[in-house]
Amino acid sequence: MIKPPMHIAKEKEVEAIGFPMVPEAELLNQAKEKLKHMKESMRSLMVMLETCTKCGNCAQQCHSYLGTQDYNNFPAARAELMRRVYKRYFTLQGKLFGSFAGAEDFDAETLTKWLTYFYQCNECRRCAVFCPFGIDTAEVTIAARHILSELGIMPRFMQGIAVNMIKTGNNMGLPAPAIIDNAEFMEDEILEETGIVVKVPIDKPNSDVLYVPSSADFFTNIDTMIGAAKMFHMLGLNWTISSAILEAANFGLLFNLDVMEEHNKRIVNEAKKFGAKLVIQGECGHGWRAAKMYTEGASGPVPFEIKHVLEVAAENIDRLPHKKLSMRVTLHDPCNYGRGGNIIEQPRKILRTIVDDFVEMTPNREENFCCGGGSGLLMDEMKDIRMQLGKKKFEQVQALGKLDYFAIPCSICKAQLPTVMEHYGNNDLKMGGLMDLVGKSLIIS
Amino acid sequence: MSSVNVNGKDVELDEDGFLNDPADWNNDMAAYFATQEDVTELTEDHWKMINYLREYFQKFGVAPMVRKLCKDTGFPLKEVYELFPSGPAKGACKIAGLPKPTGCV
Repeated sequence: MIKPPMHIAKEKEVEAIGFPMVPEAELLNQAKEKLKHMKESMRSLMVMLETCTKCGNCAQQCHSYLGTQDYNNFPAARAELMRRVYKRYFTLQGKLFGSFAGAEDFDAETLTKWLTYFYQCNECRRCAVFCPFGIDTAEVTIAARHILSELGIMPRFMQGIAVNMIKTGNNMGLPAPAIIDNAEFMEDEILEETGIVVKVPIDKPNSDVLYVPSSADFFTNIDTMIGAAKMFHMLGLNWTISSAILEAANFGLLFNLDVMEEHNKRIVNEAKKFGAKLVIQGECGHGWRAAKMYTEGASGPVPFEIKHVLEVAAENIDRLPHKKLSMRVTLHDPCNYGRGGNIIEQPRKILRTIVDDFVEMTPNREENFCCGGGSGLLMDEMKDIRMQLGKKKFEQVQALGKLDYFAIPCSICKAQLPTVMEHYGNNDLKMGGLMDLVGKSLIIS
Repeated sequence: MSSVNVNGKDVELDEDGFLNDPADWNNDMAAYFATQEDVTELTEDHWKMINYLREYFQKFGVAPMVRKLCKDTGFPLKEVYELFPSGPAKGACKIAGLPKPTGCV
């Protein structure tokens, strides 16, 4: 039997985030039941499981397959891990002819393969762009990971993040006093740099705007937060951050859809608490998709608008005092902006305005390749695989020659790409968020 | 999870080799973790960083922001990496007995 490449959460850990650990004797029956429920509640999944003709178009479009050369990472083969079981129980030919019709019993080995390979899919959706039928393997992966989690099977990494989210409202587990201390540090940094007092308000009552940054912006990527704070200051916004939802990332989308819904409700509750008419999401790819696409799905109509910080920047950068930065910059399109949330031209508009030499990598926009860390594959123990998943991205960047900055406006990309570039031998490239550059370009007063 | 015997005391570690319970930390543990993190000797500079991390952790329950750590200790990031080759969030936190920072880091 193959061994999944990540640490798995133990019973006590699974229960700590409110999931039952299904006993081994009941596992396969329950897995079948959950698949049945999933196909009935997610019609798109059924269409994708019924449709594939194995044309093979997706193989050369998937960085996971290209990087690992593992057959099960070829998108059609990955989806087949679910499709074969689906056929066995839910189609007439599968029920009658079994493996002759490409059907397979749900057994322990299948579950192990699910865990192994659905966690080597970055849920980037690039295969869907090239599939003649539009089959989106990310949807199959999302469904498979959801089913696994309902059985009590999940990576320790996802479980650890869920624990922090329950305790603190952010993935890193920052308690409110640490958040306030960090915000004050950033205010001091801005004051030192510019001589201007710019606030990073935490839990300010009666705010028109709720900003939801990534918690990594309060740890490693503070220039992203500083850039956003400078822009809000210059726009004269009455804004706040909530210490109860200091997290744009929504790992629920990446392992359990009920957890995603809880996260979305948290945003809604906090926005209502502060009276916000606008929620601005910070630089995070999948979190943007979760917030933009599924907030109303989780909570019904909401009394505020949801925008991305790069939308706000693109709409306003022309009229704000700024200087042109003299640098050669390329842009990485995070998957969930380019293929999941329509943040495509906004970052380009910003870059053309604030730097003098913006170059596109090839391919780009909705055809861009993932960083290799997408869908939360940031666990240390998967580093070798992650580097293989990031190989395509390295090649894209290297092809551009000398660069001064690599704009990667998503926290997962910011965690993954410095390691990828160094792994393949590029140690000098500076990289980080796009709001980081906005902050450096703005002339604040 | 695994356990390690350091100077006659069994201590539990998590999957990434970090302390399971921060209360188990002592100077012997720091010396043990140093051997796991390519740090040949814990110098005065290492201890300056370790003590800073521990004080911050005791006050706030988490690791400090990387830039704050650099500013408050006076070590530029490059030197932090020279002291702790796997970086501030991994090697330095492990040796100082903090939990592993998680999330998008």
